[in-house]
Amino acid sequence: MADVELRAITKRYGAVEACADVNLHVADGEFVTLLGPSGCGKTTTLNIIAGLDEPTSGEVLMGGKVVNDLTPYERDVAMVFQNYALYPHMSVADNIGFTLRLRKRPRDEIRRRVQTVAEMLELAHVLERLPRELSGGQQQRVALGRAVIREPAVFLFDEPFSNLDAALRVKMRVEVKELHQRLGITSLFVTHDQEEALSLSDRIAIMRDGHVEQVGTPDDVYAQPRTRYVARFIGSPQMDIFTGRLERRDGITAYVVGSAAFEIPGEAAPTCDGELDMGVRAEHVRLNAGGIPMPVRVVQPLGSMTYVTIGWDEELLTSRLLGMAHFSPGEAVTVSLDPAGLLFFDRESGRRVLPDGALA
Amino acid sequence: MSRRGRARTRRIGIGLGLALFVAWTLAPIVWALISSFLPLRALTSTPPDLAPGNFTLENYLGVLSADRDLIGGLRNSAIVASFTAVLALLIGSSAAYALARLRVPGGGKILMLILVTQMFPAMVIIIPLFIVLSRTGLTDSQVGLMIVYLSFVLPIVIWVLKGFFEAVPRELERAAAVDGASTMQVFRLVVLPISLPPLFATGVFAFIEAWNEFFFAVILTQSSAKTAPVVVAEFSGQYVSLYGQMVAAAAIASIPVIVLAIVFRRYILEGFVEGAVKG
Repeated sequence: MADVELRAITKRYGAVEACADVNLHVADGEFVTLLGPSGCGKTTTLNIIAGLDEPTSGEVLMGGKVVNDLTPYERDVAMVFQNYALYPHMSVADNIGFTLRLRKRPRDEIRRRVQTVAEMLELAHVLERLPRELSGGQQQRVALGRAVIREPAVFLFDEPFSNLDAALRVKMRVEVKELHQRLGITSLFVTHDQEEALSLSDRIAIMRDGHVEQVGTPDDVYAQPRTRYVARFIGSPQMDIFTGRLERRDGITAYVVGSAAFEIPGEAAPTCDGELDMGVRAEHVRLNAGGIPMPVRVVQPLGSMTYVTIGWDEELLTSRLLGMAHFSPGEAVTVSLDPAGLLFFDRESGRRVLPDGALA
Repeated sequence: MSRRGRARTRRIGIGLGLALFVAWTLAPIVWALISSFLPLRALTSTPPDLAPGNFTLENYLGVLSADRDLIGGLRNSAIVASFTAVLALLIGSSAAYALARLRVPGGGKILMLILVTQMFPAMVIIIPLFIVLSRTGLTDSQVGLMIVYLSFVLPIVIWVLKGFFEAVPRELERAAAVDGASTMQVFRLVVLPISLPPLFATGVFAFIEAWNEFFFAVILTQSSAKTAPVVVAEFSGQYVSLYGQMVAAAAIASIPVIVLAIVFRRYILEGFVEGAVKG
């Protein structure tokens, strides 16, 4: 059991800065996700925490102690790798028990602990098989088992589900979350899948170009993104963000995008006017509840919900409706925006503009 | 021509090509085998007298009873080749792994140097080599020959294995490190076991190289350490050449290599294929 702290971690490969002044504190027992596109430095950060990579500068602390000079093993971390990294020549039991074997634990203790872990992960019936004889999901669970048997201070996950198909990914998500709830071990999880991050984490650190753009609870980063980048990265479908203008005329505030002017209630608009970007999520776009008449472009029924994309000029706006909504392309609808869901961003810096006009 | 017709012509073409290649490769061996069963007189007449009645085992009996020590040669060859192969694997795999994975200062240069040693023709180094060996008292000794052969096969073993080790997924080694394995344990418990096919392939290669080598053996050994190829060659002497016995001896000397190739063929093929795909 330990908390993990990163202090001003920087990692350079020649001229490339993979991590730039990363600061992060993960509390004991917390589940934190490093989220970002490939190349944002999240895996490098994880490897530095693991002790597989050395930072160019900065400190890694675990349980309050600097661990920069310790090996992964001495840091007492366990890691699950993207391609599982199972030892191909060892049976499932030997894979899971390898770390105990290295520690020279007695043979029957190893067997007993492997058995316990295997039962927890539903692997008891495949213990004698080789990794290549397992399904993708089973391989993934062996990788988990190898980490769990250690009872480590910290769990590290490097995109563990990215090789699984969509259905299995959701299933493994549940298993990992349940595992964390049961064991309560401090966990760091790297992914580029925002949905995975939202569904698993206590807090999410969104990374971009080697630095942390925002750290917050799933609620925070979804509803209160600090930057346009975070707003775009979190949420599916992606938030629609317009490069228009906030105008005030005759006591009415409107956001103008091309030929469309969306009326904004005074309290929802920031006090500053002018060239601001405005973002709105699909669930805040209302159809046929008054507003501007516009034609439907594309309809995507998804069963439990339907995405309806509306277009004008060169602009597109997607609305999410619950259930199977029936619209056809070309059909005219009226569009209005839920003022509670509107976010404004400074065009230059990309930072969010709060209602009082300050930058977030 | 129909598509199926074309595919068929293609298959026939490939088959013919392969048949030609096999015939080309096997012809001298077949001729040698036939000669080994013919008496000298039938062999030296023009054209050779291949009448079935001529076939005899006398060459083989002669070889085994001759005062030339073929058995001793085979024993020397077996010792030298086995140790060369085992040592080449021990030293070569460690060196290859270090060059593939550890940060060795000047690693690139070391690799080039290793390759450069291969570029000198045997003729150039044989005399200095002979002087060095005779001053250290290693001429006509199994150890001396082994050292010489090691210096030839090691560069190739190192290059081949390095390519293979580089193809081992890095995450596998990282996983082992996180599990608590030292670098040596990672190598011994993870990398080596999954590298068995290339290890067998290069081991067999080293063995065959040492087993078949003639030029250095004939110059560096005089009596007690003579290897099989040297003994075989001595059947062709200054005054009389016992061709039949010579090829019979050669046929006997080939048996271990053929057996080795058959026993390890699965690994050898796997080793080459994996090297090709992953490297």
